[in-house]
Amino acid sequence: MSATTAAPPADGTIKRIVRRETHAARTVPAIIAAVFGILFCLYVLLESVLQSLGQEEWLIDPPTFAHWLAGLPRDADPLFLGLAGGLIFLAGLWFFLMAVLPGRRARYAIPNPRAAVVVEAEVLAASLARRSRISAGVTAGQVLVTVGRTRVEVRIRPTSGIPVNADAVRAAVEDELALTGLEPQPAVSIQISTMGAIGQ
Amino acid sequence: MNRTPRTLNRVLLGLGGLLLLAVGGGLLLLSTNAAAARWWQDTAPSLVADAGRMLEDTAMPGQSQSWLWPLLALAMAVTVVLLVLWISAQGRGRVDTLLAEYDDDGAPGRIAVSGAVPEQALRAALQQDPDVTSVAVSTWSLRSGTGLRVRITPRQGAAPHLVAADATHLVDALDAALGRSSTVLISLEAGPRYRLGREDRVR
Repeated sequence: MSATTAAPPADGTIKRIVRRETHAARTVPAIIAAVFGILFCLYVLLESVLQSLGQEEWLIDPPTFAHWLAGLPRDADPLFLGLAGGLIFLAGLWFFLMAVLPGRRARYAIPNPRAAVVVEAEVLAASLARRSRISAGVTAGQVLVTVGRTRVEVRIRPTSGIPVNADAVRAAVEDELALTGLEPQPAVSIQISTMGAIGQ
Repeated sequence: MNRTPRTLNRVLLGLGGLLLLAVGGGLLLLSTNAAAARWWQDTAPSLVADAGRMLEDTAMPGQSQSWLWPLLALAMAVTVVLLVLWISAQGRGRVDTLLAEYDDDGAPGRIAVSGAVPEQALRAALQQDPDVTSVAVSTWSLRSGTGLRVRITPRQGAAPHLVAADATHLVDALDAALGRSSTVLISLEAGPRYRLGREDRVR
């Protein structure tokens, strides 16, 4: 390396990038909330301009609305009121959960000395499926791999009449996981179907 | 790798969510609970009367309208502008220039390296790897300098750590060639052809 090379990026930056890549940014709920907020504000803006000019209201007269609101549930259908309240409550709950839940994406960090490396669960599942398919000696259609954060599930439908060695498959999958270096390493569970596939 | 204001997103979503929870919960309580409804009907009208008195007290000189209305209109206009800014802040941060430096050594001019340089170099090199189906490289501005995002779609079934190791070697070579190292994200993603059923499953 030449002397002009700047130091490689700091550990903190890498950690931050990995965190950002493996967690949702909440862009879609944010845009939905902002659009609804804008519509509401524009409506209030219109009515308040009409009020300040002394004009007739467009849809709702503020004083009338205030009296109706203060008298609830007198002048409203309780079913309609409860339904509206429930819907607003659910929408609020959704936005609140979006704010509070971690929002993990199906992506995993792979340790690397130079860069931040992130792999999608699907890519990892495909590589594990390939490894277990070779180890079990079956075709691609007979293996189903599900990758979760703490466990990897391998489901194999053996070819009819040819037994599959579950321990060998487990060893192969665990070896592949160890090479990948996920932190924490997921537990591997192998399920061999009792129904065989015919004519593979 | 973009500069989406994530904390702001979560704080505003949380506040908005709590507001809607309070309104919705209140309406539910009013429609189902007789005691709550009675309390509300005892409390709210006096509040409305207070508000009405305040509107009368703040009437604009020579008119019957309160100056609180234009104030509310102004507040709403400002809020709309802020909300539009919030939307426009999502997903920003992509840049075209990887490096731009001025070296005060007497030679005129400054040196800029376009983001197309790492993009072309890394793409051409990575496509030699038989385990790689497609590559997309983009440049982003980070808190500390610029960063490269290398999106790789591996061939289905390829071992991710091998593809990542290959990409890391190429990034090291790029560092040596440019004389500068930037933050790099290598993201191994499933391309459209990968998609079979659920996101985290594959046959």
